[in-house]
Amino acid sequence: MSRFTEHLWRDLVREHGARIVHTDRPEPARARGARVLRRPRVLAGSTLVLAGVGAVLLVALSGPATQPAFAITTNSDGSVLVELSYAQNQNLPQVNQKLAQMGTHEQIGIQMGTGPAPVPGPVTCKPAPGVSGPTVRVLNGTNGTEVIKPGESGDNTAEGTFHLVSCGVYPENTSLNTLRGYTGNTGNTGG
Amino acid sequence: MPERSVAVRARSRGGVPSSPLEEFEHVYLRNVDVVMGYFARRCRDPQTVADLTSETFVRAADGFAGFDPRRGSDRAWLFGIATRVFARHCEQSADGREAAARLGGYRSLDADEIEELAERIDAEREGAALMQRCEQLPAVERAAVELVDLAGLTPKEAAMALGVSRVAFRQRLSRARTRLREGA
Repeated sequence: MSRFTEHLWRDLVREHGARIVHTDRPEPARARGARVLRRPRVLAGSTLVLAGVGAVLLVALSGPATQPAFAITTNSDGSVLVELSYAQNQNLPQVNQKLAQMGTHEQIGIQMGTGPAPVPGPVTCKPAPGVSGPTVRVLNGTNGTEVIKPGESGDNTAEGTFHLVSCGVYPENTSLNTLRGYTGNTGNTGG
Repeated sequence: MPERSVAVRARSRGGVPSSPLEEFEHVYLRNVDVVMGYFARRCRDPQTVADLTSETFVRAADGFAGFDPRRGSDRAWLFGIATRVFARHCEQSADGREAAARLGGYRSLDADEIEELAERIDAEREGAALMQRCEQLPAVERAAVELVDLAGLTPKEAAMALGVSRVAFRQRLSRARTRLREGA
C-alpha cells in the first residue's frame, strides 16, 4: 500500500473499526471459519478464560476448526494477555487493530522459533522505548507450543512445532517491517 | 534455532475473511487504488483527491452493514458511493465553500503523501484526457465510459453503481463509444 492508503486505513480502523467489528454481515460473506464461534469447544475455552479475568474479548476465528485465531484478555490488574495461533499468523494485524480498539494504542511484534517452548506459558513482551502502556503477555498455541499439522499452515508458515521466541510492544504506528525485525524479550517468563 | 517472522503477509492476503473488519479490509485493499484513480482523473489537487477518497471510505464504513455482496460487487457498491461523493463535492464547490468545510476537515497530507498523490494524478493524465474528450457527451454516457473503460468495472457493476438497469446501461455505453469514435 502507498503511504496515503496506509494512513487512511489506519484512520478508518481507529475511527470506525469498533463499529465495523460489530457489523452484522450477510452469511455468505463470512468465512466458514467464522462459524467456529458457535462451536462448543471454542465457547468452552472462552468460558475458562472468563473465570479468571476481568474482561475477555474472543476475536474472529479462522483456520483450523478447533483453534481460535486469537483472544485478547484484559486482566483485573490492567495487564493484557494475547493468545494467538502461529498457524493463523495473518492475525497479527488483527490483534493490533483489536488492541487499538480496546484503547491500548500499542501493537505487538513477535518472533517465532522452531521446536517446543523451553518453558511452558506466556511470554511477557518487552516495551520499546517510549511505550508506557499496560504489561502485555503473549501465549502461543497450547501453553506456549504450537504444532502445525499438514494442511493447517494457511500457506503462511511451515508445518511443525513452533514456540514464541520473543515479543515486544511498540507504539501504535510502528511499521510492520519493524515488527518483523523486532527481538524483544526472549523466552518464557513463566508468567 | 531459526526464527520466523509472524507478521509476514500483513495485508496481501486474499483468503476468505473471518470477521467483518477483515472483510472490510479486503474491500478496501481491492478498491482503494481504483477509487483514488477515479478522483485523480477529476481533480488536480492532491489534498482534494485524498479528501474525496477518504470521504468515500468513511461512508463505506458507515454503510457497510447495508452492503450485501450477493446483490453486487464491492467495487460497484463503492463506485456508487464515490459518484455521489463527487457529485456533492461539485455542488458544494459551486457554492464556493472551502474544502475543509465540505469534507468535514480530514487531516492534511504530509509532504510525502502530497508527492505520492501528485504522481498518481499525473499517472491518470491519459484517463483525464479521455474524460476531456467525453465532455461533449451527456453525463450519463460519460460516466458509462469512465466506469467501464477507465475504472475497469464490468457493465453489470457499472450499471449497479449508477443505479440503472443493465439494458439501459449497455445502450448508454454503446451510444457513448459511437459518439467518441465519430468525434475522433
